[in-house]
Parts: sequence; structure tokens; C-alpha cells
Amino acid sequence: MRAVYGIVVREFVRFLRQRGRALSSVARPFVWLIFAGAGFAAVFAGRSEIDYRVYMAPGLLGMVVMFGSLLAALSTVIDRDAGVLRMMLVAPIRRGTVALGKTLGATLVGTAQALVVAAILLPVVGLAPTPGGALLALAAIVLTGLALGALGVVLAAGMRSIENFAGVMNFVVFPMLFLSGALYPVRHLGPVLHVLAHLNPLAYGVDLLKHALLARWVDSGYGGELPIPLDCAALALFALAGLAAAGPLLAREGRVARAAFREQR
Amino acid sequence: MTAAAIDARGLGKDFGSVRALDRLDLEVREGEFFGFLGPNGAGKTTTVHLLATLLAPSRGSARVAGHDIRVDGLAVRRNIGLVFQETTLDRDLTVEENLRFAARLWNLPEHQAAARIEAALRRFGLFERRRDSVRSLSGGMRRAADIARGILHEPRILFLDEPTAGLDPRARRSLWELIRSLRASSGLTVFLTTHYVEEAEPCDRVAVMDRGRLAALDTPAALKRVAGVASLEEVFLARTGHELAQTGAS
Repeated sequence: MRAVYGIVVREFVRFLRQRGRALSSVARPFVWLIFAGAGFAAVFAGRSEIDYRVYMAPGLLGMVVMFGSLLAALSTVIDRDAGVLRMMLVAPIRRGTVALGKTLGATLVGTAQALVVAAILLPVVGLAPTPGGALLALAAIVLTGLALGALGVVLAAGMRSIENFAGVMNFVVFPMLFLSGALYPVRHLGPVLHVLAHLNPLAYGVDLLKHALLARWVDSGYGGELPIPLDCAALALFALAGLAAAGPLLAREGRVARAAFREQR
Repeated sequence: MTAAAIDARGLGKDFGSVRALDRLDLEVREGEFFGFLGPNGAGKTTTVHLLATLLAPSRGSARVAGHDIRVDGLAVRRNIGLVFQETTLDRDLTVEENLRFAARLWNLPEHQAAARIEAALRRFGLFERRRDSVRSLSGGMRRAADIARGILHEPRILFLDEPTAGLDPRARRSLWELIRSLRASSGLTVFLTTHYVEEAEPCDRVAVMDRGRLAALDTPAALKRVAGVASLEEVFLARTGHELAQTGAS
């Protein structure tokens, strides 16, 4: 377990050292709040019991965790390119331990970002969660971080280089964001997209955050929609499935060695 | 009789239809300085990766430090150090942070790790630079830090995979000095792969590899005597029919 601790510490130190990354991850939700918030607020104007910016707050926190944890976990690809992954693979630890360390590190990075953002965002939009709500929000953030961190390690293990990164952004990150209920309730989407939303880990995380922060608006249809235990179970399931898949995938170092061998010949 | 540090029997690896390593039979003795010589593509790195359990063999097997590479990868990895061709250090971390990270991966208790890290930093001339990021180090210092990382857990066998690639002559010389002093003080078995003939001269024994096959195996002196030539370079030419990289190329 010392190895897991070492991997987590390294992940966090790297994050703190990359000032630009840390700053932009904290600033990103506010850009969304100002621009997307203004736009959607205008569309929703006059027919809602809730200020759109308040409605958006749980979704923005979910988005911060998603970007934070997923990107941190995807850095496994950079670790592979830079050789650091090899240092982990030649250590006397199991592949699953590497995957667990990367996932927990990514969760910590995502959670830290979300907490910093929450400390600024919630007062700005005028949301004051109850102690119970705050605890539930923290649980939602950590569980979302675990689910997306594990997903990120799986994606990274299957990727050869960061060139596939744009693909991940376009085909994973943005659909996940738009089908999460972060910006608008997913129940109004057609049946196909609605089903897809149920396969989206972020949707459960955002739903849980709505339970935590928008409990007052449940009756007007803006709070969480799924049962809280279902949200938690779904996130835990995504995390466990991801971890189970990531270990064996990381072990396929052979593919890389083979490519290197071909280049040599 | 000394126990074998490495004992490979019919070890081979295919990548698809490419036979990277045919069937290698090889015994490296405990404490030996073993040279694994061959041009690019001879199967040197594949062999090292098989012995270090980073790759699964297609046929045959091997025991490393007494453990079967097919069934007990963790025990093998606990007993070996491996310095790759390219650095495995995290460029964003300091030298000291990298070593601390490695110490945790190898499950060294923190107080023991601290003492070993300081000793390694001093021995490798990195103590003054310990708080600098790896990115700011010269190639030679980076390689020294890589080796410090590789021996922190006091392995019985150290694999060096083309350790001088990309180093200038001065850095090379200090690297060899370092390896000499490590061997003298710890009785470490060193398995060195190289495509530079003169780097294999100080080895106890040298295996000459050619296209995935073992072409010759003996002491440098015996190899030269049998071939009736003055240099390992000529042995290599005679055995494999092609030339090695020139010194200075990288």
C-alpha cells in the first residue's frame, strides 16, 4: 500500500507544480458560469422558480471533478510516453496496484479542484448547503472522481499516444458533459439520449450533487431525480468495473515493446 | 560452485510473425559482469524485458535470482534493478522526489528510504542538485539518477540496457567508474546490453547476439583468441557478418 501512497503523492505534487493546469481548472467553471450561464438564463428566463445559475452550480461542480479526475488519469498516457509508467511496471507491485494508485491520485486531484471551486462558486450564486447537504456533496464529488478516474485509466491504457486525446475530448468528455444533466435536465431529451444518459457515470454524480445542493427545489423538478442509493451504487460500480479492467490493460506493455522493436529493425 | 543469477532455457519471444528472440540458453553467475552485445534488432532489449517480467515469453523459461519469470514476477522484480535505454524519471519532480517515489514503489520503510536516498545522492554526485527538477539536469546526471533509482532497493542483479546511449564521453567515463565502484562494494551482478564493442571489453563474459540468436559466448580474451584477432570488434564481424555502430554515434 506504500506504493499506492507513493503514486497518489506523485500525482498530487505534479498537479500542484503545473500552475497553469491548476489555475485553469479552477477558472474553467466560472467561464461556463458567465457565458453559458448568461445564455441559458436568457432562454429559461421568466418561466422558472430557480435562477439558472443556481441550477447550474451542481453541474459545474460535477464538471470540475470530471475534468480534474479524467485528465489526471489520462496522464497515464504521458507517463507511458515519458517512461515513468515503466518505473511503476518494473516495481514489485501488481498492475492493479498501479491502476488503483492512478485512480486514487486522480480522485484526489479532482476532489481538491472541486472543493476550491465550491468554496468560491456556492457563495457567488448564493447557495448555502445544510451540513448534511455539504457531506452528501463531498461524497458525490469523491465517488464521481473515483468513477471517472478509473474510466480515465482504462482509456489511457488503451491509448497509444496523446494524439488520441482530441478524440477522447470529442467523443467521451463532451457527450458525457451534455448528457449529464449539468446544463439542462436530461428527462426532456429523446428516448435514445435518455438511455445513453443512464450509461453516463457523470449523470449519476450530477444527480447526487443536485440532491445535495438543490434539495429545496425538488418539488419544482430541479433537484435530484434518481434515488440517492442508486446514484451511489452506480458510481461505485463504474469505479470498480474500471479498476478491474484497467489492471490487465496496463499490463499490455507488450504492444509498446513490439512497436519499438519494429522501429529498430 | 556459485549459484546462477540468471538461468535461461530455450527462452524465446515472437512479435506476431517476427521472431525477436529465438531460443536462448544462457547462464549468468552471481556477481558476474555480463556483457550482452549485438547490433540494434538483435533481441537484446527483448531479452532484458523478458528477464525483467515486462514481457511474457513465447517459449522456454528462465529463472532470475532463483525465481521463475513465468510464475513469480513479483519475486523476480523484487530482486532486480533495471535501467532502461530512455530515462524513466519524472521530469517535473526533483531528483529527491523521484527517488522517494521509487522507494515507495519498492515498499522501503520511510526512514530506511531516507538514509538510502541520501547515500545514493552523495555517491552519485547528485546531492547538491537533489532539489532541482530532473528536467534541469544534464544527460549524464540524469543517467546517474536513473541508476541511483535502479539500485535503491539493493537488487541482486542490475540490468543496464544501453546505458551510455546519448551520453558524451566524459559522462560515459564517470558512468563506468560508478558501475565499477558499485560492483566492488556490493558484489552486484550486472547484465549490460550494448552495441558498442569496447564497452563489453571489461566484462567477465560476453554473449554476442545476432538476429535473435546467440552467436558466441565466452570471455572477451577467449573470444579474441579463438577468432585469432586483436579486438572484439573483429570477433563480432566474424561471428555475425555485419558491422557494429561506431563509437560516438548514438
